[in-house]
Amino acid sequence: MTHDASVRKDSGGNAVPAGDRTFWGRVANWGPYQAFSALLTASPRRQFLILAAFPILWLLTQHLGPMLQMLRVSLTDAYPVAPGTQQEFTLENYMRFFGDRIFWMPFFRTLTFAAVFTFCTLIITYPVAYFLARHVSRRNQMLMLLLLLVPFWVGEIVRTYAIMILLGNTGAVNLVLKWLGLIDRPIPFMYTSFSMGVGIVYLTALYMLLPLYSALEKLPQSMNEAAADLGAGAWTRFRRISLPMTIEGISSGCTLVFLISTGFYATPVLLGGPSTTVFAETIAGFFHVAGDEWPTGAAFAVIMFAAALLITGVFQKLMNMLRKGDTK
Amino acid sequence: MNHRVELNRGNRIFLACIYWAFVLYVFVPLILMILMGFKDSKFIGFPIRSWTLDWYKGVFSDTDVMFTFGYSVAIAILSTLISVIVGTWIAVLLQGRKFWGRAVTFALMVLPALVPGIISAIAFRIYARMLGIEPGMGAIVWAHAVHNVPFVSLVVMARLSTLPKSQIEAARDLGADPLIAFLRVTLPYLVPAILGASIFCLLLSLDDFVRSFFLGGYEPTLPVLIFAMLRSGMSPEINAIATVALVLTAAIGIWAERFTRRNNKETKV
Amino acid sequence: MTKLLMNRRRFIGTTALAGAAVASPAYLRRAAAQGSGEVNIWTYNDFVPESFKEQFESETGIKVNVRLVDDQGKQFNLLAAEQPNPTVDIMTVAGHRFLQFINSELLAPLDTDRLSNWGNINPTFSESDWATINGEKWGAPILSGMEVLSYNTELVSQEEAMTWDTLFSEEYAGQTAYIIQDMMSIVMLMMGYDGNMVEYMDDPEKAAAIVEEAKQFLIEKKPLVRKYYDSGAEVQQMFVNQDIALGHSWNGPAAALINDGFPLGMTIPNEGSYGFVYTYNVANNAPNVDNAYTFLDAILASPEIGAAMTKASGFISTYKDASNYLTDLEKKSTSFPEEQLANLQFFRAEANELKYSLVDPAVEAVKAA
Repeated sequence: MTHDASVRKDSGGNAVPAGDRTFWGRVANWGPYQAFSALLTASPRRQFLILAAFPILWLLTQHLGPMLQMLRVSLTDAYPVAPGTQQEFTLENYMRFFGDRIFWMPFFRTLTFAAVFTFCTLIITYPVAYFLARHVSRRNQMLMLLLLLVPFWVGEIVRTYAIMILLGNTGAVNLVLKWLGLIDRPIPFMYTSFSMGVGIVYLTALYMLLPLYSALEKLPQSMNEAAADLGAGAWTRFRRISLPMTIEGISSGCTLVFLISTGFYATPVLLGGPSTTVFAETIAGFFHVAGDEWPTGAAFAVIMFAAALLITGVFQKLMNMLRKGDTK
Repeated sequence: MNHRVELNRGNRIFLACIYWAFVLYVFVPLILMILMGFKDSKFIGFPIRSWTLDWYKGVFSDTDVMFTFGYSVAIAILSTLISVIVGTWIAVLLQGRKFWGRAVTFALMVLPALVPGIISAIAFRIYARMLGIEPGMGAIVWAHAVHNVPFVSLVVMARLSTLPKSQIEAARDLGADPLIAFLRVTLPYLVPAILGASIFCLLLSLDDFVRSFFLGGYEPTLPVLIFAMLRSGMSPEINAIATVALVLTAAIGIWAERFTRRNNKETKV
Repeated sequence: MTKLLMNRRRFIGTTALAGAAVASPAYLRRAAAQGSGEVNIWTYNDFVPESFKEQFESETGIKVNVRLVDDQGKQFNLLAAEQPNPTVDIMTVAGHRFLQFINSELLAPLDTDRLSNWGNINPTFSESDWATINGEKWGAPILSGMEVLSYNTELVSQEEAMTWDTLFSEEYAGQTAYIIQDMMSIVMLMMGYDGNMVEYMDDPEKAAAIVEEAKQFLIEKKPLVRKYYDSGAEVQQMFVNQDIALGHSWNGPAAALINDGFPLGMTIPNEGSYGFVYTYNVANNAPNVDNAYTFLDAILASPEIGAAMTKASGFISTYKDASNYLTDLEKKSTSFPEEQLANLQFFRAEANELKYSLVDPAVEAVKAA
């Protein structure tokens, strides 16, 4: 920051290189702007405060506000308050989750599914992103990436029904298999964890693809070549160079996909079978079937939130450790 | 060195196969969806016994559907603008800076993304009532904007972490103060991430049902309309609407891409 | 659906509105006295026929705002979040959900004296025991639905479909589907109990034992079911894709498949089944009460309007003589033989608190099993 100040001191025009006659150069030398900038950056502390004020305000009022309201509801015995009754605070709603095993199953199932589907999405999209970023010419990259994005402009419900048309007993896959003479009776793909996986990976692939692509795209080609010259095989090069350098992309992609998949409601409900109930369904049940169970639904949502936060937190820490370990 | 070329070619072909298999995976359901829009029956599915264009005629002659589409796009664009500005700002605050309460700030940032849809919708609804926000377009834009901020922040933070410090320092050496350094160096570097995040936000907003339902007024967004129509069955009309929406958004997307590319060229000259 | 819409428009354009127009002066005069304004309605897609809406708007000057909903629970949540100043005047509630809405003071009692066309409703629905709660009427019945056994006629015989047992038979393992909440009531009925639980209101222990028995039955039969579903569109799709051969469903979605030419049949099995009625209700503290009554009276004016709703939804009209305006296929898909109807009873709300405090956890347990 002292360095900063020294520049500003002699910014009468000589400090800015003569060649910089651009828009920004002129702005930087414009009196009122300099005054404004000086006011803004008078001290590192003020600079930070100005940078932080708006985000903090936003986070508190917009992100935390609704959730605090939610948390309050989760601690009450009735919501909306029935006329003529007194609302009381209680921990009952939380106890209900821990007291009854039937809620644990969908809870852990959701976390497991989310983790497994996140991993599947990673495995499936990584080679795709790798191919795009490393083996396709710059000019075609954008085009081929956009090609993959097209289906994602169609809504979740419509795409989910398309999966049913694909995997149903008279669906496209069974029709093709039959036509090829591979099967006599249709294979019941639908309403299993398989159909659910196909549907969910279909929905999440984009959220993995983009961070992976942007991480891989930055990887300098020269490094790979140098390693190859030193005799490293494809696998070694991938493991020692590409993978560590794209950990950031993997980590943000996985976080995104995991978060999104824990919240999925419609797709698991529509594509899943009798034994694939997810926790979002359980929570929604408290809001749908019985209108007076908002507090329980809210409490369960808080539990879900806490668990998801814990897992992504641990995951991020792990990834950070991995990265640091590698740069050493 | 011949050996290396061979190996690369093998890899390349293998990866190309995976890419095209993936293209198949994402496109087959899409093609099925489009195909079903031409089925002469009130329900989608095989076998298709006869074909019709009636569903499409219906969509184009129904001004309500077109209006609903425009309404949804307007909501998506407005909420995306807000999310991008706020999300980037938060990302800049969080990335590479150590300060008291950073972990809490990060947790708060991701909060809206973690909450299951129905819960978040009801929370927004209660909160909106507390703040006195009337249900309608403004309320939907607000809820979508808040919900999408974490996605922008996460993507922008990932990109920001790879920004070489030397670049900013160089700008500073040339006399740029922090604000100008940000606008001249950091922001242009973030453009790809911001564009990607915008695509996320637009998609999330266009696809959102619960928040739009709870915060909307008497004007349905596209997913709300589709959900309501679904009650009388998954009709090819829904496929026709979705296909038209897809073609229109793709057209807008291509136009926007062309437009930004042309602008970029101009500024470079 | 556009096709349906066109059919409906053509149909109403030619015949129905002639009838409606004859009936209109009564409500027109009243509306004119009130002046214009708007009326806000929450309802399912197609429950307010488009051409009726246009006619009503042009004749009364009252603008009809329809907000499409897709689920009872969401309506409840939305209204609960809006009270005490709701934006809605008329909403669509299923009769057996009344109590929940009434207890939360979300609905206003219906003043049937203000509806000159109240008598156009078939008394089976308007004067039925479920319709009166706390000595008041709470809604105007418009469409009636029931829990039926639907079956693909190419795969299952009608004889087999006359008993719920077929739904749980080994022969159709992996080819059945049902809505689990609804099935709980039906299973209790199959076992010879009162699925409404009204009989056990004074004996919670017996009620709990019965629900437990039904729950154990469904858990035992879980390996045989293909899918627990939620919405009509799902069961329709399962039939079309031949993922299932038979299933429990509401009559509306099944009728829609039949009217589209799909080889589907439906029965009210010998063990019996439950029916429910969709009603238009006036919200408590509704902003435009007078317009709401004007609207209700107008929509009840003629059986053609009722027929139009049936055509669009597949549910059975509650209007007298509505079936005169249906095609033969539509009649077939919305009627049952007398001997089957004799086995039907309506869902009752009196014991809902007891019933759902037992059934909801049981449903969770079956899903988790």
